[in-house]
Amino acid sequence: MFPAKIEKYVRPQSIAEALAALGEFEEGDAMFLAGGQSAMQAIKSRMLRPECIVDLQNISELKGIDAAAGGLRIGAMTRYVEIAQSAALNGAFAALADAAARVGDRQVRNRGTIGGSVCWNYMASCMPAVVLGTNGTMNLTAANGGERSIAADDFFLGPLETAREDTEILTSVSWDAPVSKTGSAYKKWGLVTDALPVVGVCVRVSVGGDGTCSDARVSISGLAGGGERAPAAETALLGSDGSTAAIAKAMDAAAEAADTHSDMSADADYRRQLIRNLGREVAASAFARART
Amino acid sequence: MPTINVTVNGERYEETVPERLLLSDFLRERLSLTGTHIGCTYEGVCGACTIHLDGEAVKSCLMLAVQADGHAITTIEGLRDGSLTPLQAAFKANHALQCGFCTPGILMNMTEFLEKNPNPTDEEIRHGLVGNLCRCTGYVHIVKAVREAAQSTTR
Ligand SMILES: Cc1cc2nc3c(=O)[nH]c(=O)nc-3n(C[C@H](O)[C@H](O)[C@H](O)COP(=O)(O)OP(=O)(O)OC[C@H]3O[C@@H](n4cnc5c(N)ncnc54)[C@H](O)[C@@H]3O)c2cc1C
Ligand code: FES
Ligand code: FES
Repeated sequence: MFPAKIEKYVRPQSIAEALAALGEFEEGDAMFLAGGQSAMQAIKSRMLRPECIVDLQNISELKGIDAAAGGLRIGAMTRYVEIAQSAALNGAFAALADAAARVGDRQVRNRGTIGGSVCWNYMASCMPAVVLGTNGTMNLTAANGGERSIAADDFFLGPLETAREDTEILTSVSWDAPVSKTGSAYKKWGLVTDALPVVGVCVRVSVGGDGTCSDARVSISGLAGGGERAPAAETALLGSDGSTAAIAKAMDAAAEAADTHSDMSADADYRRQLIRNLGREVAASAFARART
Repeated sequence: MPTINVTVNGERYEETVPERLLLSDFLRERLSLTGTHIGCTYEGVCGACTIHLDGEAVKSCLMLAVQADGHAITTIEGLRDGSLTPLQAAFKANHALQCGFCTPGILMNMTEFLEKNPNPTDEEIRHGLVGNLCRCTGYVHIVKAVREAAQSTTR
């Protein structure tokens, strides 16, 4: 398989140049190319037939991890390999490294970017659920230079759908500094090692001075609707002591409430069991990270 | 059609290519470097087409040739410099290939893997191999060869 005819390939040096290049074509006829680890499959299968490709590889302002003042900003063109190896991603942000280290394989991690992953928002994907579970914010710039920031809760609209307009570029994903001791973790299960998640669970918890859980976010990847939060588990964790029993209760609630589906990878009940098992492990590790 | 400048296995090439040409096809058909194999046509899942882009292992079927403009590429043909590399020698000594179809991609991937991780555990070697499918060997001898190559170079 190879791509349908492409009229133009450009490699801009800045965000402004990239937006201008995209704007030369009718909306939807030109597309950004990041690591190509999802886009190239879609272009080769001709699900996408871009007239123009705007390759973001040279835009240095889209790259890098900045962990100043306890918060975090990751440039859209930052690759999985860099996220997996970053020393800055511990505690509240450790789930990002958990996910990045297990996306696909070494070759995919050498090319694939956080920006491409969240903009693509594939149904069975890791980063969108982790950005949702860790309460990340997507920072976008429009053709006229206007900037807007969208919280993960409002950005991911379902498989292959996001709140990004075709004419906007994602510049970075950012997170506020956690208010108290916070830890996060992510783990998935797939058919083979590091495969796309049949189910993945991301948990982020904060613990207060008395050791109880003062904030909890739980998200699940691989559901029919893509990555989704699990409010039942969040409610159950909140105020709890994070004990094994409290975690098990929360993950039972998440499994019961989840709208799991059956397909050739797993049936709905098996997916529920995965939520329980992965959820327990991940929540325990998030609490442990919050407390260190 | 754009003209690209790429360095492949140390040699500079200036070539005019259609935008839609895949990097894997550029290497195989334009430069006749057929050691870069195509095992899965478009999914990007078999790893047989793995090359080095500026020293890093990537799947060449998931890139356009135009994206490589200005970059340095190494293919399996460029890995060997006179004699076999320690990894190639270990593959030969340990029967780590049968039909050999997967071998170029695995050598390219694990060469970079060993540069980044000169003293890996078996678990790390297996994790490093996830992106390369081998239908023949069952991987056991591949893992052994990578381990032996690591030991022979760190000794
Ligand atoms: C073998 C294999 C295994 C994989 N395994 C996993 C896995 O286990 N878990 C997982 O989550 N994913 C997996 N993936 C998918 C992988 O994570 C992709 O890298 C990722 O989904 C896309 O990132 P990219 O940088 O490659 O983006 P691209 O493929 O280049 O782009 C994806 C889309 O995002 C748009 N886009 C990219 N950057 C921007 C930007 N800055 N602004 C606006 N739009 C943008 C592009 O126009 C395109 O529509 C796998 C892929 C492969 C090939
Ligand atoms: S040909 Fe299979 S990954 Fe490239
Ligand atoms: S040796 Fe035949 S596919 Fe690996």
